[in-house]
Amino acid sequence: MKEKILIIGGGAAGMEAASQLYKMGLHPVIIEKSEALGGHIAQWDRLFPAFHPAKDVVEKMLDDVKGVDVRLETEVVDIQRDNNGFHAVLSNNEKLDVQAVVLATGFDVFKAERKQEYGYGIYNNVITNAELEQFFRTGKDERINHPKRIGFVHCVGARDVKVCNTYCSKVCCATALKQACEVKEVFPDAEVYTFYMDLRMFGPGYEDLYLKTQKDFDVKCVRGRVCEVSENMDGKLVIKAEDTLFGKPLKMTLDLLVLMCSMEKNKSINAIQQKLGVADNSDGFMQSKDTYLGMNETAQEGVFVAGACTAPKSLPDTIAEARAVAVEVFNYINR
Amino acid sequence: MDFGFSLSPSSHVKMDDVDLSTFNRLKETNPDINTCIACGSCNATCTAGQFTEMSFRRILLMLQRGKEDEAKKMIQRCMLCGKCTLVCPRGINIRRLLLDITR
Amino acid sequence: MNSQIFHPFVLPFVLGMAFVLAYCAVGLFRVIGQLPKDDRKKFWRSLVTPKTAWANIRDLFGDCLFHVKIWKRNPILGYMHTAIAFGWFMIIVIGHVMLFTLKPLEGVDAEGFARIFSNAYYPIFFKYFAEETPVFAFLMDFFLLMIISGILIAVVKKIHSKMVGVKRIMHFGFADNMIRFALWTIFPFRLIAEKSNIMAFWWLYSLDLMVFMFMLPFTRYMHIPTEALFILLRHAGLKPREPRKGYALAQIYSCPSCGLCIDACPMSVNDKNSGNTSAYFMKRLRNGDKEEAQRIAETCMQCGKCVAVCPVTIESCDIKMSQREAVPYQIKSDHSYLENVAAETKENAKILYFAGCMTQLTPKIMRAMKQIMEAAGEKYEFMDKDGGICCGRPMLLSGKKAEAQAMIAKNTELIKKSGVKRLVLSCPICYKVFKEEYHLEGIEILHHTQYIDELVKQGKLKVDKNDINYVYHDPCELGRAFGVYDEPREVIESIGHLRKAKSEKELSICCGGSLGSFYLTQQERDEITANSVNDLMFNNPDEIVTACPLCLKTFARKSPVVVKDIAEVVANQLR
Repeated sequence: MKEKILIIGGGAAGMEAASQLYKMGLHPVIIEKSEALGGHIAQWDRLFPAFHPAKDVVEKMLDDVKGVDVRLETEVVDIQRDNNGFHAVLSNNEKLDVQAVVLATGFDVFKAERKQEYGYGIYNNVITNAELEQFFRTGKDERINHPKRIGFVHCVGARDVKVCNTYCSKVCCATALKQACEVKEVFPDAEVYTFYMDLRMFGPGYEDLYLKTQKDFDVKCVRGRVCEVSENMDGKLVIKAEDTLFGKPLKMTLDLLVLMCSMEKNKSINAIQQKLGVADNSDGFMQSKDTYLGMNETAQEGVFVAGACTAPKSLPDTIAEARAVAVEVFNYINR
Repeated sequence: MDFGFSLSPSSHVKMDDVDLSTFNRLKETNPDINTCIACGSCNATCTAGQFTEMSFRRILLMLQRGKEDEAKKMIQRCMLCGKCTLVCPRGINIRRLLLDITR
Repeated sequence: MNSQIFHPFVLPFVLGMAFVLAYCAVGLFRVIGQLPKDDRKKFWRSLVTPKTAWANIRDLFGDCLFHVKIWKRNPILGYMHTAIAFGWFMIIVIGHVMLFTLKPLEGVDAEGFARIFSNAYYPIFFKYFAEETPVFAFLMDFFLLMIISGILIAVVKKIHSKMVGVKRIMHFGFADNMIRFALWTIFPFRLIAEKSNIMAFWWLYSLDLMVFMFMLPFTRYMHIPTEALFILLRHAGLKPREPRKGYALAQIYSCPSCGLCIDACPMSVNDKNSGNTSAYFMKRLRNGDKEEAQRIAETCMQCGKCVAVCPVTIESCDIKMSQREAVPYQIKSDHSYLENVAAETKENAKILYFAGCMTQLTPKIMRAMKQIMEAAGEKYEFMDKDGGICCGRPMLLSGKKAEAQAMIAKNTELIKKSGVKRLVLSCPICYKVFKEEYHLEGIEILHHTQYIDELVKQGKLKVDKNDINYVYHDPCELGRAFGVYDEPREVIESIGHLRKAKSEKELSICCGGSLGSFYLTQQERDEITANSVNDLMFNNPDEIVTACPLCLKTFARKSPVVVKDIAEVVANQLR
């Protein structure tokens, strides 16, 4: 009988880990709470830095997990461990005995209404990065109505102790610039402003993306954080920020404001995480065993982590981790 | 001798001569002071900043660049309303710092 | 019986008594002498005004002897205080009544000075010198036992305070501990002396009284004589102006250090901060520890809960404010630029809406108020749509009273020029300063809770009922400061179901966001917020409702359920 591995989460990390373990001859079981595999990435239109369609990546990954045991619309409701391994109970009352558990539960998008001063949920023309992506994918969003001037706010729910998130969410800078280009493609006459503190273009091709925004799309970058949003008589947004490079506060009217919401740990897994004895780190994500050599292990033997459940991560990071976790699990099973 | 032009004083910040005593005193009671990422939120929201040059972000810099007098002049415009403290993403207790500087 | 008029053991008591009386007389002159002239005039006048005179008599008995306010909070402690204070008062009174009715000195051969002098100690040591009648003997024993029962509770409170419903008690220094021990032993010694007539116990009783009285001015027990004066000054309607002079001085010495404010103070949720409560502040002031007093004064959030629970009604928040004012700032503010801000007339507007700085950061309140005023068909104008001038309260809170005037004057000008008759505010911080410091004759100042309540009652605002369970948080500057408790609750009840918090109204716990404190760290504030949220969640409400933008923002950080402003709740339910 093949050794069973429980993989909680059917996003990029879960799918990639499962496909690798499957190829290694083990028996991964993906538990996914939604009705389809793919996670956040399946909701995305194109990927930075090179505007690659997310669909292509997702389709390839789905192809790779053909044959893998998958439970959709299912959650783990209980899990116990003894000397023989882990015993999970699923929401469909199925009982699963597995040798190892991979937590690939990913992230939640920061709830923008928590940053009250940005007016999300109050003003119609304040939207999130995820919603803009949805618009690119479907072309439908009543709130986006031929905007003449569009603003992007970086670090919404990141590097901000006021919402208890002190970390940098890593991917928003590149996402903002990618979306700034795309929005210009859809509305070529629009002026696009981004309000940033630091542009963290750390990966291969990312700086090129930045240069593209400047050379091809004339995206205007203002160094300063938007801190107040209100509405004027015409229903346009009025934002306040400081242009810190110029050294003066500025006010500006916008037709559309896009909030670059950060990643937060997906908290729906908290109860199971607790039962497995996996702690959170100071950022509220799951605690890995070690930053360098044990990124995918946890303090509990047999419990592994991959992807954005331990920190905000880009798609390439997540895929790399998913492959690494497969090796860790393989070694653990054959120990 | 007259060369037909005169040398104006250097516009450089003379970092070697900067007196950091005020800044260091503040740092003792407000360790968060160094976590500022200069996002400018304090200035953008500032009630006094609507009418004047008041900018807490610049006051912090002035204190670190030997422009204490300028900082103290700027601080006189403050209304102490506390909006800056409320919006600061680093949780710096700006209202207290402002009072500590004026004490 | 001992038919003598004098015995040397009375001397310690007499000395002590003389000392206390002299000290109090000097103190009385000092306090009254330090009052500013207009305050002193007010004080004299209050003594002969029938209304205040009656209040004086009522409170002198009700507060000093029975302490009705402690009874209300904690009956066990109420009994403790009544037993000791009223019991002691009664045995002194009965002693004197016996002296004048039984006339024990009539048969004694003594004259002149000795006879007059004996009046000082006879009532206190009556049983040693003369025979009591059975009725008096019973009364004396009854009150003596009553005192001792009170002392027993005090001992229990000291050893295991939770048994009498107190979590944290004050920690005292040597002097306070010693005088307390003296107080605890006075009455048992008296009881033993009276019952056994052993000379040593009469000495102990008298010496104990001496120790108590000599230490009294330097310890918390000074509250016994001072509270009487404080009650008179309070009824004269004075405000403390300097932290250690005049009226404030009377308050400092009236604080009995009972420590009821320690459990009440929101900061006490962190034990480390229970030393920053009002009881300790008053103690620091009494001891002349200016630096610590200043630090505590500026750590305080000015939520006013200590004043609400104080059995003596010590106005510790006001004294802290005067302490803040006492330390000068090297750099003075300069708000001359405000002179150039132009005022405009708001034609046709009946209502001027001032959102305030904090509400600028909670646009949902502004949006909701707009919807409400429009739905009610009101003619309104925003005073600070594009950003306004601070109301001045934050400046006042920092102790810069004079410098707040620039903002107060400019806002007054702007409001008067607008020509409106009503001013509606969303922020209780603004509301307090507008009510207390602004002179806006002819203009009605309303907080939006009061305004919305009025609109609903007048039928101008039609709301649909929903099935949500709300809990209402009383913002300090609206509730405790102005007693606006019913309006918001009635509004909420007209919309959904109102559940009770554990601590409500005057006992509500500050959200922790207060602009009053300068020194609390974010972490300390978070602890206060979490505690306050816990208290609100007592009856598992679906949503928390408040009426202050700062409370709203503060709670949103820590609340497990949605937090809304009352305006938002109403706007969502407009028919």
